[in-house]
Amino acid sequence: MRWASKYPPRAYAERIRTDLDGQAMETPWFAKRPVKDIRPGDHSWLAYSGLEERDRVIGPFVREGLETNEKVVYVTDAPAELLPGVGPRHGVDVHAYSRTGQLRVISRRDACLDRRGAFEPGRMLETIGREVDAAFGQGFRAVRLTTDYSWLLSEPGRSDIAEMLGCEHRVGDAVSPSTMAMAICQIDRHACPPDELAALRDTHEVLVEVDPEFDDGILKTVRTFEPNGLRVEGELDAARHQVFAEQLAQVCLARRRVHLDFTDLGFIDLGGLNLLAQQATVLPADEALVLDHLPPDVENVIEMVGWHRLPGLERGRERAFTETEGMA
Amino acid sequence: MSESFTHCVLPYDRVDDLLDGALPFLRDGAEAGDRVLAVCGIAREMLLREALGPTAASVEFVEPGTWYSHPARTLADCLSDADDIAWHGRRLRVLGEPVVWASRPPLEVLEWQRVEAMVNIAFRGTGAAIMCPYSSSLPAGVVAAGRRTHPETVRGARSIANPLYMDPWAYSAQCDGEPLPPPPGDADELEIDRPDLFWLRAYVTEYARRTPLPDEDLQRLLVAVTEVVTNALRHGAPPIMLRMWTEPSGRDPALVCEVTDRGSWEPGSGYGLVPPRPSGTATGGRFGLWAVRLLCSIVQIRTGRGGSTVRLRLRLPAVPAAVNGV
Repeated sequence: MRWASKYPPRAYAERIRTDLDGQAMETPWFAKRPVKDIRPGDHSWLAYSGLEERDRVIGPFVREGLETNEKVVYVTDAPAELLPGVGPRHGVDVHAYSRTGQLRVISRRDACLDRRGAFEPGRMLETIGREVDAAFGQGFRAVRLTTDYSWLLSEPGRSDIAEMLGCEHRVGDAVSPSTMAMAICQIDRHACPPDELAALRDTHEVLVEVDPEFDDGILKTVRTFEPNGLRVEGELDAARHQVFAEQLAQVCLARRRVHLDFTDLGFIDLGGLNLLAQQATVLPADEALVLDHLPPDVENVIEMVGWHRLPGLERGRERAFTETEGMA
Repeated sequence: MSESFTHCVLPYDRVDDLLDGALPFLRDGAEAGDRVLAVCGIAREMLLREALGPTAASVEFVEPGTWYSHPARTLADCLSDADDIAWHGRRLRVLGEPVVWASRPPLEVLEWQRVEAMVNIAFRGTGAAIMCPYSSSLPAGVVAAGRRTHPETVRGARSIANPLYMDPWAYSAQCDGEPLPPPPGDADELEIDRPDLFWLRAYVTEYARRTPLPDEDLQRLLVAVTEVVTNALRHGAPPIMLRMWTEPSGRDPALVCEVTDRGSWEPGSGYGLVPPRPSGTATGGRFGLWAVRLLCSIVQIRTGRGGSTVRLRLRLPAVPAAVNGV
């Protein structure tokens, strides 16, 4: 099954991510993208930790599609007005979009179950094909597909993992060459054992994540949910202290332990370290601001200043190449 | 803490004079349950062990090359130790001779002498006791400075007020009395007119990569330069200039990075000479310049009506002449 449109959509020009040295980033077999950068051909994967994370990815995915003349196909048994990113809370009239066919909320029964109510991958493929084919004729420039597979894996009488993998491969084969279709496969990361989660993830080429809180090409911060905190990439100095402090204060509001993932932190100045220590003093007495995956040269500077002079900061997980990318 | 901080010099000619002053100091500490450190080489350690007898078991002997590794770091580490021990209700007692650092390059010796002075401010309230035996065989300048930086002089078991002792800040200002030698004519020069400093770090990185500066020192240099330039942008007056050069010759090869501006610092700035106390109270960003001193080999500051200069020196590994140009 192949879908193609006659006119490649301009809005999705090819982008190659580069790091600060201007070199192409070396990524593993999948690309990691914020939801705003998902584009046709992306068969992407979202293993969410909770509803907040899910809503902050799927919400923009659905809403941006509706706002830009793209068709949104959501396979779910949930009522349309309760879907992420739409409904009265967001000022999006789901019924208006449903009437024009731009928003298609299809029940599992209609989309992918057989007569006995069991999951049938072939039907899912047919549903996707039908919706995408129709979209072209309806004048939509692209189709955004999404569904949450967690129920298939967590409910009694759950689907066989091999069957799921087969289904994902076929969806991938259908979406990847398409210049119109893009998909996000959602799964609650607690719905199945880690090895199965990894196997499912590996059937996707793109890992989708929340849009960054801030990204000006020098500093980028991305909200993380498990653990609760921020991923901080690039360089932090006085020019960006204020914006960073605001975001840090925001994640500290949760009154939970806050982790900062410093894997790709290239530079932090002394004022930045001080800012972390100041924020740590606001946390509840038994909580700390945990610095995960510290690059060795950054850690070296902290050690020189002395951890004991930065009360409330704690060395977190060691830096390591993780097998759990996109999962935890 | 019932006892107040003491810092005394023990001038000596002969080993007997040294023992007359050092032994009571160490024994008193051992008896009082202090943490007692003797920073000395192996020959001196053998001498002290024999003279102390069983009391030697209560004394920790520390290798002087490690202890006197870096003026600002040694001061910070020793102060942390003193604070820790004071927190446990005990006292830190250190016997330390300047003999290791007295033969180092002149700029470093100057910083050790300044540390001797700043100790008198930094250790206030710790209850620590520091005794510094100064042999008369040390360079005359080192001995003379020792008399200005120690409030008390020890003779045998007695200590008396030292009439030559100077206020530490006045002493420190005297250390910076000489103007800095001008940068070499071929120094790399850049005016800093943008508040965003990522490009400056890229520039400094590129320069440093062309020198033998070890990789692990590069991040330290970047943190130090960023801090000094950030201060100049905040408190100084334009133009702010960055100059970089290397001093390959002599005993003390260094990468030098200088930041100048037209502003002058408030009197009583502190110049990052006294370590902030880890008291748990918010430090309010005060550790900036002090941390810069930890990150660099030597920091030189001159400020006055003509403007301000902060010169950061990072030691470069000595490259054998024969290897050059290969």
